[in-house]
Amino acid sequence: MMMENKKTDSQWPRFMVFQQAAEGAPVLHNGTVHAPDLEMALLNARDVFARRPEAITLWVVPAQAIYTQTREELAARQSVDQASEEQADYYVFGKFEQQAQCRQIGEVSAGSPRAAMQAALTKYADRQPLWWWVFPKAAVLISTPQDREPMFAPAREKTFKDQAEYPVVTLMRQLRSKQKPDKK
Amino acid sequence: MSETQKKALADYLIALADDELILGHRDSEWTGHAPILEEDIAFANLALDEIGHARLWYELAATVLGADPARFPDQQVYFRPAAQFRCLQLVELPKGDWAFSMLRQYLFDAFEQHRLAGLVQSKHKPLADAAGRIRNEELYHLRHTRAWVPRLGLGTAESQARMQAALDELWPYAQALGAPLPGELDLLPASWVPGSSSLFDVWSREVREFLKEASLAVPEVQGDVESDRTVHSEYFPTLIADLQEVARLDPEAQW
Repeated sequence: MMMENKKTDSQWPRFMVFQQAAEGAPVLHNGTVHAPDLEMALLNARDVFARRPEAITLWVVPAQAIYTQTREELAARQSVDQASEEQADYYVFGKFEQQAQCRQIGEVSAGSPRAAMQAALTKYADRQPLWWWVFPKAAVLISTPQDREPMFAPAREKTFKDQAEYPVVTLMRQLRSKQKPDKK
Repeated sequence: MSETQKKALADYLIALADDELILGHRDSEWTGHAPILEEDIAFANLALDEIGHARLWYELAATVLGADPARFPDQQVYFRPAAQFRCLQLVELPKGDWAFSMLRQYLFDAFEQHRLAGLVQSKHKPLADAAGRIRNEELYHLRHTRAWVPRLGLGTAESQARMQAALDELWPYAQALGAPLPGELDLLPASWVPGSSSLFDVWSREVREFLKEASLAVPEVQGDVESDRTVHSEYFPTLIADLQEVARLDPEAQW
């Protein structure tokens, strides 16, 4: 008997979020957000990742647009034929240590994600990340210089208290002892 | 500053602050309940921003009145009787569904953007400076709510119907945005503040066009709209009781 195995995933697609903290600073992978589209992903990225820490630029790219290979996978695989598709520009990122954030390495032009990966390996042969990411430039939404003030400037003026700065336990103890005036 | 100007400016600022505070409070009721995690965080941020703007306006009112700016905002928020608040009924209404809260936020933010643009030009420098600080954040809010309105209006049959129902309910209340704020008429001649009625005309044209593109029909407004800020909705006493309950338990508590 055939079983209907239809996926009913109501979750929005995943987008990778990258952040640049200052002029000249590297673009680093920060995490993921769910969103219905790129514009909403950029807004969600701002609220989830850039409300407190410093940021001047945010990038969002659909997770499925990223082609990724580990060092081991790359060692085992065959070289790719140059695809006949139209050439496109790709961003190249790499993760250099297990604990480190994936960071921007550079850019290549290629006819497919696999070809872009190969081009990246040739162009950045001196770099040895644990794994590589390539994704087409056209898939990315990057916040503009005009977005800087409304999206990131307010965070710089905000003071916020660390959780440890709230003496809640001490206060509750004081309040409770206040309610029992006979006990000193 | 004359005594009349002082009183007018303080009244004006407290009304601005009350709108922001109560809207922020209603928005904060979504925290932990928004339809998706990212939006939960975003809307909680937005609520916090609105309450932060309220604080800024209360502090400015305190300096006008010669009160202590460090204590005045808490006094106004936690210990003022409900009847003395000067917010619009628009911001008092219960949060409703997601469409309702998002649309209310859009209608309010779209108006506020024009008011802040006017206040940035104020001949009274402290007012212009504060408006400048708030405006940046409000630009971002407006981008967020402007993103949602067409996505819901043009989304599914259900999201469209919910948005239309929200608009039908909110639109009459939103008309009160065009009424002058307390003190406004005394501050207008010296160009300290923009006139609400002219802001309203610009807002109304802009919002109608935007809503139409999102497949939402602006309803006819039947009868009179309550724009007197001393008259509150049936929901307001409960809201204030909730808001003030903990603070009133122990007025001297250090937080």
